[in-house]
Amino acid sequence: MSSSNSNRQLSSGRLWRVIAVILACALVAAACGNDDDSSDGSVPAAPEVGDSSSEPTGDSGGMAEDSSTPAPTAEPEPELSGTIGFIKGPHSAMEVEFNDQIIADFNAQVAPDVEVEFSTYDWPVHVAELTTLFASGSPPDVQYLVDLIYPAFAEQGVLHDMTDLVNDPDWAEERANISPFAWDLAEQQGGTWGVPVLGAVYNIFINETLLEEAGLLDSWDDSYESMLAAAEALTTDEVFGFGARTSAADFAWWDWYPYIHNAGGDVFSDDWTECGLVGQDVVDAMQFLIDIHTAGVTPAIGSVDNQGLFDLFAAGRIAILHHETPNIVALNENPPDFEWTVAAAPPGPQGHTVMGNFGILSIAEASDNKEAAWEFIKHWASAPQVGRFAEQVSLQVVRTDILDDLFADNPAMQKVQSEMVPRVQGLQPSPHIIEALQAAWPVVEDAFRGNRTGEEAIAGMCEAIDGVLAG
Amino acid sequence: MTHIDPGLTGAQMTLSPEEHRRLAKRYRRRTTLTAYAFLGPNLVAFVVFLLIPVVWLLVSTFRTGGVLGPAEFVGLDNWRDTFSDPLARTSIRNTVVYSAMAIPAVFIIAMILALALHAIPRGGAPIRVALYLPTLQPAVVAAFIFTFVLHPDFGVINYAVRWLGGDPINFLGDTTLALPTIAGIEVWRGTGFWTMMFLAGLTALPGELYHAAELDGAGAIRRFIRLTLPLLRPTFYFAVIFATIVNLQLFDSVFALTDGGPVNSTVSVSLYIYRSLFLFGDIGFGATLSFLLVVTVLLLTGLQTYLLRDSK
Repeated sequence: MSSSNSNRQLSSGRLWRVIAVILACALVAAACGNDDDSSDGSVPAAPEVGDSSSEPTGDSGGMAEDSSTPAPTAEPEPELSGTIGFIKGPHSAMEVEFNDQIIADFNAQVAPDVEVEFSTYDWPVHVAELTTLFASGSPPDVQYLVDLIYPAFAEQGVLHDMTDLVNDPDWAEERANISPFAWDLAEQQGGTWGVPVLGAVYNIFINETLLEEAGLLDSWDDSYESMLAAAEALTTDEVFGFGARTSAADFAWWDWYPYIHNAGGDVFSDDWTECGLVGQDVVDAMQFLIDIHTAGVTPAIGSVDNQGLFDLFAAGRIAILHHETPNIVALNENPPDFEWTVAAAPPGPQGHTVMGNFGILSIAEASDNKEAAWEFIKHWASAPQVGRFAEQVSLQVVRTDILDDLFADNPAMQKVQSEMVPRVQGLQPSPHIIEALQAAWPVVEDAFRGNRTGEEAIAGMCEAIDGVLAG
Repeated sequence: MTHIDPGLTGAQMTLSPEEHRRLAKRYRRRTTLTAYAFLGPNLVAFVVFLLIPVVWLLVSTFRTGGVLGPAEFVGLDNWRDTFSDPLARTSIRNTVVYSAMAIPAVFIIAMILALALHAIPRGGAPIRVALYLPTLQPAVVAAFIFTFVLHPDFGVINYAVRWLGGDPINFLGDTTLALPTIAGIEVWRGTGFWTMMFLAGLTALPGELYHAAELDGAGAIRRFIRLTLPLLRPTFYFAVIFATIVNLQLFDSVFALTDGGPVNSTVSVSLYIYRSLFLFGDIGFGATLSFLLVVTVLLLTGLQTYLLRDSK
């Protein structure tokens, strides 16, 4: 018995010694890790942003009418060879086919010996997918990245600084065809992290038939008050007057942003060092959003997801719906039995903005075929290619030279492109933007359930945002 | 090899103490080596896929970065952040509350079903198959199924509620209902597995004890309390530990159904770890939460082992 006990004590003693050794090793390894790893992934020295002489000069002509027309920069470069990977989130069920067209044109017009392997990531988990790909050390050479996430990747040194490439004098004319605001979104942290190509505008869909029947078609968007009044007037047992996304999983902040921007606020202050949700106008805008979500004119908060909201609109059961332009394709392909159109949120006290976010084509720092990757990006961003793709998926372009001929057969998209895109105020492309939005959004969800006033919600959001910035 | 003369008597065949020790030692060595040979592959897998990652996890708790960018030693910062982070506390509370709801519920339902199935002398196979089917559904499929069950607008349950004159219930959009709803879905998925587990345990119980108890006049409830429950102790021991480990790692159904919402009411520890590591790139913080989860599971397993030990 005593022998058994002493053995147990001995085992226990050994166990503790082993644990102590493991802890000690862990601490030593952690302490040494700082030096060991300093060379394997350091952020590259950031070069200066391109000089002002290369700033865009505005409209320079119409979009190439024939999509088979070679891009202006599409000089055949037979010396390019090898394989490059290209990954992008889908904007259509036909995403692969549409990109195969672009790749076929690339091989026919620019680089016949470069094989482009196209793949897609899933939007709901795209950050995780891209993180894993970058961590693998062999990510696709070219990535389509949205402004919500690329700054964090740029900060961690996995994107190639394309400042020299986009300032190449041979590409100056093409660069000038891309709007300055789009370049502003791509140029952060002292570098240029991609070529802006597409944008998604977050518009409102309205059921014109219902609004006309109620005599509200011309007045519903005069002000926030008139929109709330219209939503109340249109709500019946079968119809919700208003709908907007409310959960972080559905990126609900896109529908919240214009009201905050119209009140002069933003997630971060101008220097991105603290919460930017300041001022009475911001509080009032938040209170309006709470009021419209607690007025009984929307589906129960959190009960319907992104697609469900759109399906309700398409079924004629939501009169005024915040959503996004790719659904214009769905409405055109399967026309509902009512008249519809697109609109922007009503004007606020400090502006009349529209929310949009934008995508850039980037090159991975780990790419071993950057030259071919750059040629492919130039090709993808060229007027014929990006114009055709934008029309196929109902997204906006950031080129100014193709607007006249774009969306000729799509009045809703013409309206979005001509009336809303110029009013777009995008997000602040900070490395912390997605974490700040994720951290603050539960406060908004809570407020939309009537549990907080506008003032309390803004205070709670700022507490969360400042917490993220404090690290 | 010891040679034994067939002409020796029993007393003469007795081994000398020295020879006995030698043979015993050889036997022990051989059985030990055989045991290690069989354990070897598992030991390698244990070291490579568990021990080293856990040690590396512990290392990562004292650093930041290290996946996409360079690692940097930050001392105890991650630990301080973890214990002061309100969402970390919320995620721990949600996970514990969820486990406290789901584990007892699934055990009680599964035990009732197992007892019922055990009492069916013939033809139970189709019922067993039907009961086990939900366990085979991936979380995403289960989420899709429950969309049609729970949806406030067109869900079956709310259709019935409206038909009965009630207001629709916002199961996954209500902050007080979302976590119990997720627990209910997980109970639905897990019931088949645990029913089969308990049924297997019941089938293995010695029938003669029940016959004897019956002859002694013990009723069904008394037999269940005095015989079934104590005899199923090894099954319960495995079940409690396994269920605790699985449920503390709640992720897929939350990810598919609510993404932690509404208002963080369903954020689980695993979901927060995922967000920290893959969405925010906060490797040190995520590693610290992960290490805490590992330690918690180990401690709870140890506690359960102690409490459920076979007291002689």
